[in-house]
Amino acid sequence: MRTFPLHAVLSWGALLSLGVYAARLGFLAQAWVGVGLGLYALLVLWGIRFGWRHALLALGLMAYWFPPAAFLVPLLFALIFGRGLSEKEQGALYGWALVWPALALLLIWQVFPTFYAFYLSLFERVNFLRPAAFSGLENYRILLQDPLFWRALGNTFWYVVFTVPVGLLLATVVAILLNTQVAFLGLYRTLYFLPYITALTAAAAVWRWIYHPEFGFLNWLLRTPGLDWLNTPKGVFALLLEPLGVQVQGFWAGPSLAFVAIMAMSVWHFLGYQVVILLAGLQAIPKEYYEAAELDGASFWQKHWFITWPLLSPTTFFLFTLGLIGAFQVFTQVYVLTPTGGVLQDTLTLAFYLYNKGFRDADFSYASAIAMVTFLLILGLTLIQRRILERRVNYEI
Amino acid sequence: MRFKPTSLLVHLVLLGGGVIMAFPFYWMLATSLKSPQEALQAKPIWVPERMKPGNWLKAARLGDSPLWGGLAPGRSVELVFPGEKGRPPKAFIPRTPGAFFDPRADGTRVEVVYREGAWRVRLTNTTGEAFRFLPLVVLWPKEAPLDPPLPPDALRSQGEDWRLEWVNAVPGALGYLFHNYLEAWHAAPWGRYFFNSFFTALTQVAVGLFLAALAAFALARIPFPGKEAVFVLILATMMVPGEVLLIPNYVLLARLGWLDTYYALIVPWLASVFGIFLLRQFYLSLPQDLFDAARIDGAGYLTQLFRIALPLSLPGLVSYGIFTFLGAYNALLWPLIVTQSPEMRTVQLGLQAFVSEAGSDYGALMAASTLVILPVILGYFFAQRQFIQGIARSGLK
Repeated sequence: MRTFPLHAVLSWGALLSLGVYAARLGFLAQAWVGVGLGLYALLVLWGIRFGWRHALLALGLMAYWFPPAAFLVPLLFALIFGRGLSEKEQGALYGWALVWPALALLLIWQVFPTFYAFYLSLFERVNFLRPAAFSGLENYRILLQDPLFWRALGNTFWYVVFTVPVGLLLATVVAILLNTQVAFLGLYRTLYFLPYITALTAAAAVWRWIYHPEFGFLNWLLRTPGLDWLNTPKGVFALLLEPLGVQVQGFWAGPSLAFVAIMAMSVWHFLGYQVVILLAGLQAIPKEYYEAAELDGASFWQKHWFITWPLLSPTTFFLFTLGLIGAFQVFTQVYVLTPTGGVLQDTLTLAFYLYNKGFRDADFSYASAIAMVTFLLILGLTLIQRRILERRVNYEI
Repeated sequence: MRFKPTSLLVHLVLLGGGVIMAFPFYWMLATSLKSPQEALQAKPIWVPERMKPGNWLKAARLGDSPLWGGLAPGRSVELVFPGEKGRPPKAFIPRTPGAFFDPRADGTRVEVVYREGAWRVRLTNTTGEAFRFLPLVVLWPKEAPLDPPLPPDALRSQGEDWRLEWVNAVPGALGYLFHNYLEAWHAAPWGRYFFNSFFTALTQVAVGLFLAALAAFALARIPFPGKEAVFVLILATMMVPGEVLLIPNYVLLARLGWLDTYYALIVPWLASVFGIFLLRQFYLSLPQDLFDAARIDGAGYLTQLFRIALPLSLPGLVSYGIFTFLGAYNALLWPLIVTQSPEMRTVQLGLQAFVSEAGSDYGALMAASTLVILPVILGYFFAQRQFIQGIARSGLK
C-alpha cells in the first residue's frame, strides 16, 4: 500500500510560507496565496484517508496569519509521529527537511532575483518613486546603441585579452619553478600568495599611491616624472604607435593607459591564487611520467610541453573560465583607483556601469538590462568555450 | 645535497618575482611610517626616519611615558639642541589653523635657555588637561650646526633660519613610530567598522556552514525523491553572476525594510552554492561502510551528520570558512550598496571613505590600509597551511 507523502506536504508548506511572505511584500498577487492554501488543504484532506491524525496538519493553514506555520507544522508532525515510518519515508522526510533551509534562501536570494531582474528590465526607468510604464525590450534596444555600454564591453574584452594569458603564463612559470623541490618553498609561496588575501580596497589604495603622478614610485622607477597613469584616457596602442607616426582611433587604440594600470594591479592581485591552484594541479601529476621521460632523454622543455601542459590542462581551463567570468565583474579596483570611471569614462567596466546606472542615476530597469545582457554573455561564452576548448582538455591522468 | 647551478637560477627568478609581489606591501608599510614631507618626495625614501631604532630611543626620552609619551598637567619636557651660544633659536607651538580656542598653543609655556653647551627648549603644560600630542616649531639659525634631539618631521628654509617642525614633540617610542596609525585611528570610528566587519563575516561563516552542511549531507547521503531536481536547481544558480542579483536583491531588501541593517549585510549571502558543493564532495568521499555501521547501531540521519560526517569533513569546513570570511571581510560593492549610515560601514567602506577624505595625507592613508589588511595577514601567518590548502581545494573538481 502506498503511504502518505509527508515530505510533499513539508515542501509545499515551505513554498507556501515563502509565497505568503512574497504576497505581503507585494511581489505576488494575493490570489496565489489562496490557491496555495487550497492545495495545501487538499493535501491534508487526502492525508486523512491514511489516518485521522493527519487532520492535525490542517494547523499549517495558519500560514495565512503566521507564514512559517506551513513549514513548521508538517515538520513537528513528522518529528512526533515519524517513529513508525519506513526507512524510505524517513529518507524522503529528512532529505527535504535538511535541504529546505538552504534551498529556501537560494530561492529567495538567487533564483527569484534572477527572474525579477529580467522583469524589471522590461519597464521604463523603474525607481519606485513613481509607477513605471511597461516598455518591452526598449531598454535592450537603447542598450545596444549606448556608446558607454560598448566602451564597458570593450574594456571587458581587453581585460580578458590582457590579464588572463599574462596571469596564467606567469603563474605557470612560478608554479613549475616552485614544484622543482626548491628550498624556501613556504617563503616564496607566501610572497606570491599574500596579495590575493589582501583586500582589494587596501591594495588599490597602495597602487594609487604607487601610480601617483608627482610622488609615485613608478614614475621615479621609469624616469617618467609627471605621467598621470590613472588620468590618461589615451589608448596604449595609440601611445606606443605614436612615435612611429601611426595614428589609431577608437577601439583599435586599445585600452586606455589608466585601464592598463588597473589591469596590472589585477594581475598582481590574482597571481597568488593561480599559483596555488596550479601548484596543486602540478602536484597531482604522477612523478613516474617525468622519470620515464628522463630515461628516454627528454629535455626540460620537452617534459613540460608533452607532460605538464596536457596534464595540467583541466586546471588551466578552470582558471581560464574563472578569469573570463571574473572580467565581467571587475568593480572594486576600478572604483578605488578611478572613482569617477576615469577621464571620459575610459575605465568603465560592465559592473561599474551597472552600479552607476542603478545606484547613481537610480535607473533600476536599465541597470537590470545591463545585468541580463552580462548574464547572457557569460552564459554564451562559457558554453562556447566548453564546446571549443574543453575538447582539448585532458581530464584523465 | 649536491649543488646545482640551475637551482641558483630558479632562486633568482623566484626571488625577483617575489620582490615585485612584495614591494607594494613594503611601500605601504614604509609610507605609513613617513612624515608628510618624507612621503611627498620625488625621489623615494626607502627607510623613513621613524623606521630607525636609534630614533625610537630618542623619542622614548620625550614625553611622560617612554612608550606612548604625552604631557600631563604641570609636567614639562626638555628638548636639547647641542651647539654654540650664538644667535638664540626661537620656539613656539603652532596654532591649529582656524581653531577658535587652542589649549596647546595657549596653555603651553615655552622657554628657550642656553645651559651646559646646549640650547634647551622647555615645554610646560600649564593647563588642567593632559596632552596626547604637542606640535612644535623651532627656528634654528642657519649658521649654527644642527643636531636636533629627534629628527624633525619637516625641515624648511625660512629666511635666516631653518624651520624645524614636529607633529608631536612628546611622542614616546611607540607614539613616534605609530604616529600615522594613531592619527588614522582617531580620524574615523574604526572600532565600529571592525566590529561590523567581523560580526558580518563571522555570522556568515557560522550560519552558512551550518546550512550548507545540512543541505550537503542530504544531497550526498540521503536518498529522497526530487533529489536530482534540487541538485540541478542548485547547479543552475551557480551560473548566475553576482551582478544580476545586485538590483533585485536591493529592491527586496528595501521592501523588507532591511536596508542599512546587519540583515542586509548578512542574510543574502547565507546560502552558498559553493559551500554546498564543497561539503557534498567531502561527504561523498567518506566510505559508505561508516554510515552503514552507524545505522546498524541505531543512529538516525541527524546523528550520522553531526557525529560522523561533520567531524570527518573538518578540512572542508575550514576551507569554506576561510573562503567565506575572506569574501565577506574584503567585500566592497555589496556593503556600498546596502548601507548608508557611517555606523553600518564595514572596514572596506570605512577605508574607501577615508581614501576620499584623507586627500594627500598618504602616511595616514597607508596606515589605515595596513590596519585593514592586518587581521587577514595575521590570520594567514597563524594558519598558513589551512589557508593554502583551503584555497587550493576550491580548484579541484
